[in-house]
Amino acid sequence: MLFSKECKKILHSFTYILYCALVILMVVSQYFGESGGKVYPPVKGGDDYGYKIEEDHDIIMSSATVALTTEYFANRYVCYPFGFYKAVHLNNKEQAEVEKYISELSGLDSKELIDIKNNSNIYNYTDGTHYYSDYNVMDVPVSETLTYERFTEIMGDVDDILGGGSDYAVESLVVRFSRIPMTYEDAVEDYNELIEDDKITGAYARLFSDYAGIVLAIVPVFVAAALTAADRRRKMNELIYSRKTSSFRLVFTRYASLVTMMFIPVFLLIVIAFVQLLSMYSGEKMDMSVMFTLPTFWLLPNIMTASAIGMLVTELFSGGAAILVQFVWWFMGLMMAGTAGLDGMIGKYTFICRHNSLGMRRAFFMNWDNFVFNRIFYIIISLAAAVVAVLIYDMKRGGRFDGIRLFGKNSIFRRKA
Amino acid sequence: MNEKIVIKNVNKFYGRKQALFDINLTIEKGMFGLLGRNGAGKTTLMKTLAVLHKKKSGDITICDVPVEKAKEIRAMTGYLPQDFSMYPNMKCDEALEYLGALSEISKAECKKRITSLLRRVNLIEHRHKKVRELSGGMKRRLGIAQALIHDPKVLIVDEPTAGLDPEERIRFRNLLCEIAQDRIVILSTHIVGDIEATCKNIAVMDAGKILWKGTVQEILENAKGHIYTTNVEKRFLPQIKKEYIVTGMLAQTDYVTVRIVSDAEPDLPNTVLTEPDLESAYMYCLHSNGCDVMGGEE
Repeated sequence: MLFSKECKKILHSFTYILYCALVILMVVSQYFGESGGKVYPPVKGGDDYGYKIEEDHDIIMSSATVALTTEYFANRYVCYPFGFYKAVHLNNKEQAEVEKYISELSGLDSKELIDIKNNSNIYNYTDGTHYYSDYNVMDVPVSETLTYERFTEIMGDVDDILGGGSDYAVESLVVRFSRIPMTYEDAVEDYNELIEDDKITGAYARLFSDYAGIVLAIVPVFVAAALTAADRRRKMNELIYSRKTSSFRLVFTRYASLVTMMFIPVFLLIVIAFVQLLSMYSGEKMDMSVMFTLPTFWLLPNIMTASAIGMLVTELFSGGAAILVQFVWWFMGLMMAGTAGLDGMIGKYTFICRHNSLGMRRAFFMNWDNFVFNRIFYIIISLAAAVVAVLIYDMKRGGRFDGIRLFGKNSIFRRKA
Repeated sequence: MNEKIVIKNVNKFYGRKQALFDINLTIEKGMFGLLGRNGAGKTTLMKTLAVLHKKKSGDITICDVPVEKAKEIRAMTGYLPQDFSMYPNMKCDEALEYLGALSEISKAECKKRITSLLRRVNLIEHRHKKVRELSGGMKRRLGIAQALIHDPKVLIVDEPTAGLDPEERIRFRNLLCEIAQDRIVILSTHIVGDIEATCKNIAVMDAGKILWKGTVQEILENAKGHIYTTNVEKRFLPQIKKEYIVTGMLAQTDYVTVRIVSDAEPDLPNTVLTEPDLESAYMYCLHSNGCDVMGGEE
């Protein structure tokens, strides 16, 4: 009874209508409008068949050594710990350690490295906020005696020095440094994988999830926050606080109804996409279930996490602070969506999983274990956040906590002062 | 089951500020009035009873159940806050169904109770109206219905008549009296008329303390010998208001009949000792307990 009433409440809320509009807009414009069309077999004699990811140790060692040397010269290492962008600058001792590793990778000593640095062109660029100078390092040799095992050990150490989340993390090496252009034969193979291994729907399910995942990582937070804040805004919180029902039942019923209601438009879009595939590929053999199971496993953790965070933040903070934190989440989400690799680059903790391609099946399955870990990790995180929201709700209900205020008379900053 | 509320030595703080000082009260079945000025601590006490606030020390039991057992207390109390509303887009019966679900009543039972309660609070014809379309008085009556949806043993109503027109106020008071036939009803208010018309037992609060507790008759007795009336010329009124606690004025043709609270007989011509009404008795109670009372001063 309570579940259906909460669903009805959500259905009639403005933020939910806005949510539906944004999800539909994103999926219709990106998936249905741009990339989700029919794939035809490659034509021989084409110029560009895209690229593929293949575990070629020589290419990996060579590309990674050049990349590391480039970042070492600038002392600016781009990392994504937990999926967030971070530019790492090392101190002299750490730089010396990295230099030692580059020497081992390349067989070059300090003086030879300085020569490369001096002979490299410097190019300047900006990210809109800061100006950077990087060395355009063209070629760094790889030591002939270096084995791939030792190479991965060194890369692991470098990643540790950088604090994790760098391109040199062992699990990222293949995807980051082993991209090679596809030949016609490769393109045919890629196409055959789509038809035979993915049974068509698998590939489209990934592409659908890729686009929907971006919007579902961000927008549910606002729907959840609006529902959570509605009691106070409507002066109904004391009527609800004084009821018999437990805080756990109330918060989790609301949570379940939020997740259910927010998944409904996604599910309807999946059904439409599936019907479209049936008509596009009539006569082809299709996997009838993966179009539903993969997006559910991919997208549900996004909705669950964003909803739980929305509820938690709104319970934890009061007034304007909750809105501020929601916008921080929004920007973080945008940043994560923008910086995550477009295909195959699914880290263990990357909240927004991306695979912006109908092909490259192997690249995706190379990270399958990461993907499964990632999704389960976020389901656990979301449930943990919901449990914390229950505890905070219960404290507020019993008058033991009134929410953290960042602004105004009862701001935590004023109290400290 | 012992149908009473026992409050023993209850203290409550907001941060470092003490809001309730050593409150001791026993409230039995029927209407109980908690009278006090704004900021006296009535709402704090009400919320503490409704388990919305946590006391710092002392004991409270409601029908033998300590307030620490929040779920049991919530199951047996209905609460109507001073400043409340409901989701404006919900219809009256939907809002009650929602709150009934939160009180864990079965759907069938809830529907039955909603019809009966809406009839009782005279809103049955408006059951399909949206909450935002209700008048202030109708909203309060809906508030009472929501507080009774789970048939609580105790009903706590905080300033329920503030802002209502006289007719709606009388209707509301009568409704509370009916409800109090078979349960404890605590009415917190700063409007003496509400208490006078409904309660047998009362307590007077000020600055977080109970100043007085007993029956209405007893507080009237207590004020006997301290309430006077006198007829004065209008021009002397400002002076009288400065010197005495004036609780009532009745303008006549060329003079004003003034009701005064005083420890001793006022040194004014034509002064007559009068039977106290509850308003004057309440003012005398505040005055005799050292509260700063400026009855008629503008």
